[in-house]
Amino acid sequence: MRQFLSFFLVSLISFCTLSTCAESPTSSADYHEQLVLRPLPLSALLASFNFRSNITVSEFEAHNFRLFPRSLAQILQHAGTRELHLRFSSGRWDSESWGARPWDGAREGGTGVELWAWLEAETDDEADHKWLTLTNALSGLFCASLNFIDGTRTTRPVMSFQPEGDHPSLTEANTHLLFGVLPHEVVCTENLTPFLKLLPCKGKAGIASLLDGHKLFDSSWQSMAVDVRPICPAGGECVLQIELTIDMVLDIDRSKRPRDNPIPRPPPGHELPCNTSKPYHSHDTCFPADHEASQDWTLSQIFGKHMKGTCPLTDPAVPPVCLQVPNSRSVYVSDGVLEKKNLDRVSRCFEIRPDANFEMVLPSPSKDDQQATSLIVKPEAPLLYAERSFTGHGQERGGVQTILRNPSSDTEVEFIYMESLPWFMRIYLHTMSARIQGTKGDDNSVIQEVYYRPGVDRARGSQLEVRMRIPPASTVFLTYDFEKSILRYTEYPPDANRGFDVAAAVITILNKDEPKTGRFAAYNLRTTSLLCSLPTPDFSMPYNVIIFTSTAIALAFGGMFNIMVRRFVAADEGPELGLKLLKTKLKSRFAALFKKFGVGKAKGDQTKEAEPQPAVTE
Amino acid sequence: MPSITTFNTSRARSYMVRLPLFTRLVLLAILGFWLVGLQSVWDVRQWGALIPKEMGLATLYRMNTFPFIHLNVFHAVMNLLAIVPLLERFEAEYGTLTCLGLFFGPLTTIPSILYVLVEKGLGANTAVMGASMWVFTLLGLEAMRTYKLNPNLVILGYSIPTWTTPIGILFVIAVLVPNSSFLGHAAGLGVGYVAGFGLLKYLAPPEWALRWIEGKLNLLGRLPHYVSVDQKTYGRFGVLPSSNSSTGGSGVGLGLVGTSALALRRDPRMLKVPPYISLLCILVGAVWLFLLPLNEYSRRTYISENALLPGQVHTYFGGSDQNVFRAYKQEVNALAEQGKSNTEINGKLEEIVRGLGLKTARQNFTYAAAGRTYQGENLYAILQAPRGDATEAIVLVAAWENVKKEVNRQGVPLTLTLARYFKRWSLWSKDIIILFSPDSIAGPQAWVDAYHDAHDTSRVASLPIKSGALQGAIAIDYAQEHRFQSIHVVYDGVNGQLPNLDLINSVVNIAGGQMGMGVALQEMWQHNDQYPDRLRTMLRGMLKQGLGLASGPHSSFIPYHVDAVTLQPFGEGWQDEMAMGRVVEGTFRSLNNLLEHLHQSFFFYLLMQRERFVSIGTYLPSAMLVAANFTIMAIFLWMKSGQPAETSTADIKSGSESDKSTPPPTVERELFLPIGVVILCQTVSVIPLYLFNHVPENTLTPLFGLFFLINTILPPILSNLLTTFHRPTLQQYNLIKSFSLLLLGMFLSSLATLNFSLAMIIGLLSAPLSFVKPFPNSAAARAVCFALLNAISPAAVLLAGAAYWKLSVTTILTEAAVAWHVSGTYSSVLVWCVWWPAWLAGCVTVLGRPGDKEEEKNKTKKA
Repeated sequence: MRQFLSFFLVSLISFCTLSTCAESPTSSADYHEQLVLRPLPLSALLASFNFRSNITVSEFEAHNFRLFPRSLAQILQHAGTRELHLRFSSGRWDSESWGARPWDGAREGGTGVELWAWLEAETDDEADHKWLTLTNALSGLFCASLNFIDGTRTTRPVMSFQPEGDHPSLTEANTHLLFGVLPHEVVCTENLTPFLKLLPCKGKAGIASLLDGHKLFDSSWQSMAVDVRPICPAGGECVLQIELTIDMVLDIDRSKRPRDNPIPRPPPGHELPCNTSKPYHSHDTCFPADHEASQDWTLSQIFGKHMKGTCPLTDPAVPPVCLQVPNSRSVYVSDGVLEKKNLDRVSRCFEIRPDANFEMVLPSPSKDDQQATSLIVKPEAPLLYAERSFTGHGQERGGVQTILRNPSSDTEVEFIYMESLPWFMRIYLHTMSARIQGTKGDDNSVIQEVYYRPGVDRARGSQLEVRMRIPPASTVFLTYDFEKSILRYTEYPPDANRGFDVAAAVITILNKDEPKTGRFAAYNLRTTSLLCSLPTPDFSMPYNVIIFTSTAIALAFGGMFNIMVRRFVAADEGPELGLKLLKTKLKSRFAALFKKFGVGKAKGDQTKEAEPQPAVTE
Repeated sequence: MPSITTFNTSRARSYMVRLPLFTRLVLLAILGFWLVGLQSVWDVRQWGALIPKEMGLATLYRMNTFPFIHLNVFHAVMNLLAIVPLLERFEAEYGTLTCLGLFFGPLTTIPSILYVLVEKGLGANTAVMGASMWVFTLLGLEAMRTYKLNPNLVILGYSIPTWTTPIGILFVIAVLVPNSSFLGHAAGLGVGYVAGFGLLKYLAPPEWALRWIEGKLNLLGRLPHYVSVDQKTYGRFGVLPSSNSSTGGSGVGLGLVGTSALALRRDPRMLKVPPYISLLCILVGAVWLFLLPLNEYSRRTYISENALLPGQVHTYFGGSDQNVFRAYKQEVNALAEQGKSNTEINGKLEEIVRGLGLKTARQNFTYAAAGRTYQGENLYAILQAPRGDATEAIVLVAAWENVKKEVNRQGVPLTLTLARYFKRWSLWSKDIIILFSPDSIAGPQAWVDAYHDAHDTSRVASLPIKSGALQGAIAIDYAQEHRFQSIHVVYDGVNGQLPNLDLINSVVNIAGGQMGMGVALQEMWQHNDQYPDRLRTMLRGMLKQGLGLASGPHSSFIPYHVDAVTLQPFGEGWQDEMAMGRVVEGTFRSLNNLLEHLHQSFFFYLLMQRERFVSIGTYLPSAMLVAANFTIMAIFLWMKSGQPAETSTADIKSGSESDKSTPPPTVERELFLPIGVVILCQTVSVIPLYLFNHVPENTLTPLFGLFFLINTILPPILSNLLTTFHRPTLQQYNLIKSFSLLLLGMFLSSLATLNFSLAMIIGLLSAPLSFVKPFPNSAAARAVCFALLNAISPAAVLLAGAAYWKLSVTTILTEAAVAWHVSGTYSSVLVWCVWWPAWLAGCVTVLGRPGDKEEEKNKTKKA
């Protein structure tokens, strides 16, 4: 990992010195893209797509966006966003087998959607308002439910995040960091399509032509990231940089299956790789010898299609595809591709003609160098392993346990552990304890600092940030208990009640030599999300009860209540109302008319007419 | 007319007593026809209903019979409630003979002819029956009469003519009451209106003729409750035909509210009836249970959770996976034959599972029970859902040894093969946890406890890796080496808790419907779906539920609301292990579909065949009735203990009659001794509970022998001590029994909702305790009764059970102790702390010799 990173850094720096710093900012070098492929143990393959473009701030403000996606730029301008980070992730990174995360975990989020941004605003209220604008606009842009990031899902982290870009013009007072997370959001093709539209070549050419929803979302782990940050080189003009990153871990076995026949039917007996050294091995008995072996693949098998040349807008100085396998492995590439082995002996890059289709074949290694060590680069161990799970059972209380392991034998790890919990998980802060494995009771030296902002029912989630320090080669159990609130029945989501997802904890490992490198975090990681089950009514029952009681009340209670509260007055005592009034009025009118026209009529008629009168008024 | 506000029982009684003759006849006729309608030989409804198409000269009788015939008991009761007050008023006004003439003449025939004509005109043929047509005729009459007195009802300034009220009722009934005939009611109402306009006098038979008949036949003298036609001569009720009863009735009616309750309490019958009610409760409860397997009382199972979609997917497990299975089986056989230790076995299995790319971990556990330690090491692996987020998981369990201590020779390799196969699929939405436990009870229990952090960390290790919330579990118990015929689904959880019925239904659906193999329950290897087999299945299920023991690796999951079953192939057939694998695959695919935790279907049920069950609403009353019998007896004995100790019935009679106003002296109850005895019994019961759960295995049998001995001699000793030192009275014996039965009834009725079968078993076995009583004079009766009671003591029942199932007492007691310590089974608490003390108190009552001195004292006091 470190080698990979150093390589990357070197390439970035060289890129910076060559393009941004030496040439004019408006040159074609403002855009570059690169795909790095790295085989991982257990027949997995990490593919990291990176697309980056710059725009000077003056051009940005003049609405001359060039390679910067206009749709996103307008949103950023409208919402006063100075720096933006958006993540779509699914699956989980298996750090036990795959080692450290790509980009040191800086380009990934927890399961679902994560968004954090620095907004320019005078007051908190203004910031909230701008945040609302931003989330709603992004929701439309990325076809995600980002508009559901409301007050209960938004936190203002205090320790965990630092701006990645340079913000010379802004002060502490008028920048606001807001962080929102949607753990339940399922990332899917509908999010990939708008993502690709942000690219200059739109997935038609270059490495983006390899991106395909079927493969991306069949991967064991994938993360799509959008980062926008201002960068101010010393002496130069500030540029706004947008970086789009897609990382995915593909299961080689699964990806190699043809798309028209994706069912993993058992292979014919003779195709099954067997361990022939077993004494009972025969034609119908086979101890399988798979999994380590599957490291032969071609690019088109893995991604389902060829790579269509390069994007013409990309900086030709940056090789579009790099592969990290030991130099001893032979790799076959298609015509018109130039292979360049790097000095670190574990990576090589390919330079591709813009119009050439790129294909790469990693053959299965020959029998003699079958040792797993020579096939792939051994992954580097991460700085910290973290695993979070619920403890306890039942629907009233629960606990959260995070197991944090520092694998290093000589350096201690200092990090910030951040949880943003939904309001219906009311945590008991006094129960929070950190215990080092093998010792009894709490260890006071582990927890350095705690920032806790309690939740408010139905208005705000709770936020917990803990600065911790773990001694070398030790495991810490961080535990706390919580109580589950009872939700109103309208507060349950309308879908099937699977439970409520609790967002991943964000762990930011502090960079010890921050002043030197300028990087705040040495490594980031997220735990998996959790599923919290709350006491759930049988939803058909409330409706039955409501219908039943409504009927009973309407029939029995309504009439009774009416009789009880009504004051009964004899008809002649009360004022005449409604139809009756109308009737008497009409009658009197008619009577008057009759009098007018029927003066000559018999008297008997008049008396007859008068007769019903008492009955009416009675 | 009685109104709700003035309702009181004595008044209602007097009202009933004063009902005039024709109303009575109608009432009796309606009831009679309802009773006749109960039999199924002659369809009285078809015979007597007013069916427009069947009207002819020969069937004119229908015009008069239809008002008496009702659809069902509700129909009859509702109509009776409506018609009796109306008809009573009508009859009281016009006289019995007029009523007879009108209601067997124009008032019935005219509306029915109207109805038939309208129906024929409409081309419909709706049969009507019931007295509701009369009700509307009478309502119409009443309304017209009210209209004459009081023409308008003013509501909110609108005056509404009072004659419209029946129309309102007509519409309300047409809307609210199902199957009510709007047309029939309307016809009745119309005739009522017409009659009310004053046309009644033309319809009624001439008054002089009636008066003549009445005079000639001297009806007023001969018929009770007769209302004369000529009210001017004889008064409204003639010579007050029911004068005797009415004076008595009015006396009661004028009495204080609640007098009737007091009278009821003093009623000598109150001291006779309860034992019979109690016996009836037991009998009904027992018979109820035996009715359940009938088609009328049980239901067919159905899949309630639509997301499960069992058997809707193709299963692909098979082909070359069988080669892999054979290889794994070789490995497992090698381990089993070499007699490797648990850790070594886990080492080998872990190597294989890790090779598949799954994460593994181990967990140590130690349980101590019956002087033995049960320790072992669980191995489990997590197959992470390829695209999942670790929020949910389903579990596949393969214990190395099943409950019968046979090595799970096919189950373990099958689970390994399935794990390898599942790994290839990318569709899993939930993690799959593969658990290999060394045994079937303690291992899974330790694992599940630790998964939910409910474990004792000193004995059970915490789990190093975890996944999300468990949504379901399937255990494979496949020890038989040859091909099988069907699958046996074991579903009993600890303490009689059961998995969601949807899970069992899914397995039945997949195995039976999709794979075409049989499914058996409760070790019923053959089942013909007839009554005896259904009953046997149900009783076996109840026995297992009652014992509350863990019946397989799945049992420990159920208390944590994780639905689980064990699948056990059995029989000789042609299904191979791949078929079994496909059943598991299908079930996992169904569980994988679940969007929410299994909650739709039943958690309380008795299965009597794989596709037939009864739910709690149907079966619970039987256990509740048995439990209620104890409470009824307890209340009865409490009342009895308050009565003076006179024995002759004559005395009671005279007392009750003479002392109407002054209540008979309630005897002071001496509570100290009875409460003391019951508390002593309950306290002593902790000793067997503790001992049987804590002594080592080899001392269990001697301990049981000793206990049996003490159990036999303790009641005589206790009884002798009581008689020597205190000489309790009959009242005190009654109170001892009352308190102990009260406790028993209370415990059992609350237990019935938790573990129906245990409540039912204990209830039936201790039912005789309701009827024991001291025999002051006969030593022989006492001895016989005590011997009989001994035959149903908990210890004797345990021995009988051991003899019947050919088990040793040690095995049973060890099993119980292990269940207590490992699974947390509470059945032993119920046996030793609920049943046994009640039995002890019952024995003390039987052996009691009520003191004569006290009785003499009482007598002298009275005198």
